[in-house]
Amino acid sequence: MSSRFLNEKELKGFLKTADILLPGEGELPRFGQTDFSRYIDDILEEATATDVQDLKMLFGIFYWIPSFFIRIILVVSEKSDFGPRFWQLNMRLINIGLKGIIYSLYYSRLPDADKNGERIFNMIGWETKIPGLEKQENEMSLKDVRENARVAQEEIRKTSIKDRINFIKSLKNYVLDNKTYFVKKIHEETGKTRTDILTSEIFATIDFLNYLEKNAQKELKVRNVKTPIALMGKKSSVTLEPLGTMLIISPWNYPFFQALVPMALSLVCGNATIIKPSEHTPMKGVFEDLLKRVGIPSTWVQMVYGDGEVGKELIDLKPDKVFFTGSVSTGKKIMTQAGQYLIPVELELGGKDPMIIFKDVDLHRATSGALWGALTASGQACTSVEKVLVQEDIYEDFKSLLINKAGKVKVGQGDQSEFEIGPMTTDFQISVVREHVEDALSKGAKLLTGNDWDRKSKLVPPLVIDGVDETMLVYQEETFGPVIPLIKFKDEAQAVFMANDSKYGLTASVWSKNMKLAYRVANALNVGGVSINNVMLTEGNPHLPFGGIKNSGFGRFKGKEGFSSFSNIKSIIANSDTHHVEPHWYPFTEKKYGLFDKMTDGLFGKGPFSFLKFVIFGLKLEGHANKVSK
Amino acid sequence: MDESKHFYDLIIIGGGISGSFIAEALSQDLRILILEAGINYKLKEYPIHEVHTSAKMYWGGGIEFNTDANIAFLRPKVVGGGSVINGALVDRFDDIAFDDWKGQTKVNFFNSKDMGPWYEKAESKFQIQYIPEEGRNGNAEIFAQGMKAKGFSYSPLRRAQKNCAYEEGNDCIECLSGCRIGSKQMMSVSTLERALQNGVELISQFEVENIEDHGDCVSVWGKHKKQRTFKFRSKKVVMAAGAIGNVRLLFKSGFGEKIPGIGKNFYTHPQYMNLGIFEKKIQSFKGALQAYKSSEPRFRQWGFKLENVFAPPAGLSMLIPGFGKKHMRQMKKIAHMSCIEVAIRDTEPGKMEQDRNGNFRIIKTLNAEDRKRRKLGLEIINDMFESCGASEIIEGKLPVGLHLMGGCGLGHDANESAVNPEFKLFDHKNIYVADSSIFPSAPGINPSLTVMALSLKATDQIAKGF
Repeated sequence: MSSRFLNEKELKGFLKTADILLPGEGELPRFGQTDFSRYIDDILEEATATDVQDLKMLFGIFYWIPSFFIRIILVVSEKSDFGPRFWQLNMRLINIGLKGIIYSLYYSRLPDADKNGERIFNMIGWETKIPGLEKQENEMSLKDVRENARVAQEEIRKTSIKDRINFIKSLKNYVLDNKTYFVKKIHEETGKTRTDILTSEIFATIDFLNYLEKNAQKELKVRNVKTPIALMGKKSSVTLEPLGTMLIISPWNYPFFQALVPMALSLVCGNATIIKPSEHTPMKGVFEDLLKRVGIPSTWVQMVYGDGEVGKELIDLKPDKVFFTGSVSTGKKIMTQAGQYLIPVELELGGKDPMIIFKDVDLHRATSGALWGALTASGQACTSVEKVLVQEDIYEDFKSLLINKAGKVKVGQGDQSEFEIGPMTTDFQISVVREHVEDALSKGAKLLTGNDWDRKSKLVPPLVIDGVDETMLVYQEETFGPVIPLIKFKDEAQAVFMANDSKYGLTASVWSKNMKLAYRVANALNVGGVSINNVMLTEGNPHLPFGGIKNSGFGRFKGKEGFSSFSNIKSIIANSDTHHVEPHWYPFTEKKYGLFDKMTDGLFGKGPFSFLKFVIFGLKLEGHANKVSK
Repeated sequence: MDESKHFYDLIIIGGGISGSFIAEALSQDLRILILEAGINYKLKEYPIHEVHTSAKMYWGGGIEFNTDANIAFLRPKVVGGGSVINGALVDRFDDIAFDDWKGQTKVNFFNSKDMGPWYEKAESKFQIQYIPEEGRNGNAEIFAQGMKAKGFSYSPLRRAQKNCAYEEGNDCIECLSGCRIGSKQMMSVSTLERALQNGVELISQFEVENIEDHGDCVSVWGKHKKQRTFKFRSKKVVMAAGAIGNVRLLFKSGFGEKIPGIGKNFYTHPQYMNLGIFEKKIQSFKGALQAYKSSEPRFRQWGFKLENVFAPPAGLSMLIPGFGKKHMRQMKKIAHMSCIEVAIRDTEPGKMEQDRNGNFRIIKTLNAEDRKRRKLGLEIINDMFESCGASEIIEGKLPVGLHLMGGCGLGHDANESAVNPEFKLFDHKNIYVADSSIFPSAPGINPSLTVMALSLKATDQIAKGF
């Protein structure tokens, strides 16, 4: 919780006062139990400068004085009909000012993570509804959404890149100011651990927004390019223009990051955006609220909720491009459907990301890296480590250290920050994990850790599997769970073969002290990104494009390439308006053919005088063409 | 400073009721620009949380005060102005109101007959309905029962609305922060909408800071979104920023020294909301927000009117005295509360001033007569609540001024008024004013319909000037 107007002490003074005014009563929560204080700036930014100064002073004082005195001030200010005029005046202002702010934050049905706003309204018996409006909203067909987007894309097109960057800036600041709220929301929706969420959803989102803020202007600038001598006198440039309407279909594993980041990129590129989040983690209302607070018009970015059927209907409304993050099977369906309309798609699908560990590595770092890379978000990340290839010389040492560390990983459900693995988000993914593990065991592999898992519960401990070979599902298919299959390799060639022996090609990691070897292997891998002596780090740098090959999809987003993916790359070549006609235009004559032929030799041919030939025949050609054209 | 060279026939400062009516009436013939400080919300974008309604749709972050901080002013800051946040009551003034104005100003058209056609024309610009039976809620029943018990007359409310569809179960208290179903005849769904269709330009979130009359044209400066300064020019200007807005801007632009009448005779119809708490559930927030009004001739004589109203929770929390657990327990009785308001026809003229340092202030007090009016109204409300069986009554202590009127009074006397009967600012043939700031005194009747009628009358004068 932070404020642009109140410092830490003033905020504490404010919260102290709020708890005195609203100490809780029966089921009505104490002010401090709600998350409403994060809306304080909404009031302060509209208040006059003098009022803000007075409030800062007041809360500053209230921070220092005991609650008992604040209570006296509040009682006295309530009965302000005596004493000198200025005293009465100030007492009234204190009374109305404090109550006005604190009561209206409390009794406004504001959204917070625990739905306190709703709860308070239920408790005080305030039931109002406007069925007409709700009906209208439900009836707002997908066609309306598409139509809104069509109108919006024209509005956005007219804005400057600077205007759009300002929205990105506000988005960034808002996410930054409300980290705790978003962590809580994502935690509720996915069950992922708080630290996982803070580091890979919140931090990464802010980091990317920051990148956009700093780089969008540069990357979207009109780029002048060279014009060859044969086209002398003409000017060439490339501009990235909006595509129109982007449809973003976002996944359930990173529901915040994977929706907000492509949305921000789409907006900055000047597109209207429709987002259909996964039906498993819709986070209903969170994005609408966020967008409203930063002032992005509701038609510019529209949320549509529902399952695959809804996604299908949206594609039928012909957005200008579909950006999909999710499974291979859905990706195929989307591409087939979009193919009918020749709508471009960009697919960020699954992966079976290998981690290749050569014998010269630091075992402590490598085992810790493997652990986090395979287990973060309970392994439900598309770039999770899914296949650990260890050189035979260190295989046993690596294995025993890994088992030892895996035993210490804290698995738990709840919002304590020290939990490292949270529950799996969806039931169907639990069955995939069970199937893969049972398949491996039936084919002779051994489960080294997590034997106590009942193969049903959402809380899955780290599952280290020994003796994995190419016949097993854990070797071939994406598991998307906290599973660490260990595979032994002899040498570089075998490692590269095993890593590439996959229908996927998203990212990989290579571990060795020998950087030459590491780069050589990195270059030999059929994937979209490689981390050397690190895991899952290519997506950690917003300057690096992200995406895969083979069944992991295609297209790149983030980095310089990301801007192109969300834009229409338009080439412009300009001639001034002259009387001259081009030599390759009509009419064609025998002489024109001959001159053109000689000019071509002159331009591209070898020999000391060829350029002179080009100039001579070029001028002749020019003269002839203009003469015969009249 | 960005000096934009845009030149208009007419610039209207303020996109509220007066500004919208004038813009529409002249939109076919003139190139018009409306500058409005508030936000231009689309229907579904009106803020739905009360804290945002206050902060974003009113000046001063929600509330403004007189110098004694004992009268609160709610001054709308939104495209559509008062029509977005009001109860949409549309009543013509009676002879009492006009006779008083005429007596005070010697302006002849202040009479029901001369104003009749303008009222008619204004009423033709939007839909008017009487609140039907199915819209009446428990709060309305108590109002009716109380009035009946005390032998006072009351009548159904006449309101600017199109289709509130109470039968579908709409609870319309939300319409005080913008009617999201577009039934309330806010300017944005009626007059202003048509004006914009006819080519009138609107810049919202533009706060005008200065106007300068060059004799043959007028310059207007201001800031867009509190950042960039723009300057516009036009042949004529209409000031339609309301009583406080107009006066403030005139002072800021240095007109105060030349026209002594600016800022004088400021009235607000101070309103006190009183709550009756009942054993049974009333659910005053259901159905139509207001269904009845007092039509008792004696009330008119006594200088007040009673209104059947209610407020959303944060607003109500401010009416309930105290804090802590006791306050929270009272809040739990919201569904058992009824509310009747007394709005007094204030007689003590208030005054707006600008001190030497440029600070603006509003001096507004209530004299003995005003206090008497409030007391009498309150006694009647208490009797009404008691006759209906209220177990507890909470008297509203803080008067709220919603009808902000005067400060640029229309008349002949330069010491008491600022605008002549041709709606021109004294000695400035290119600056017109026709909104509630030209009211010479408090009429005791809801002002919006009369603002519309006067604005239409003013358009006649403005058109003649071209």
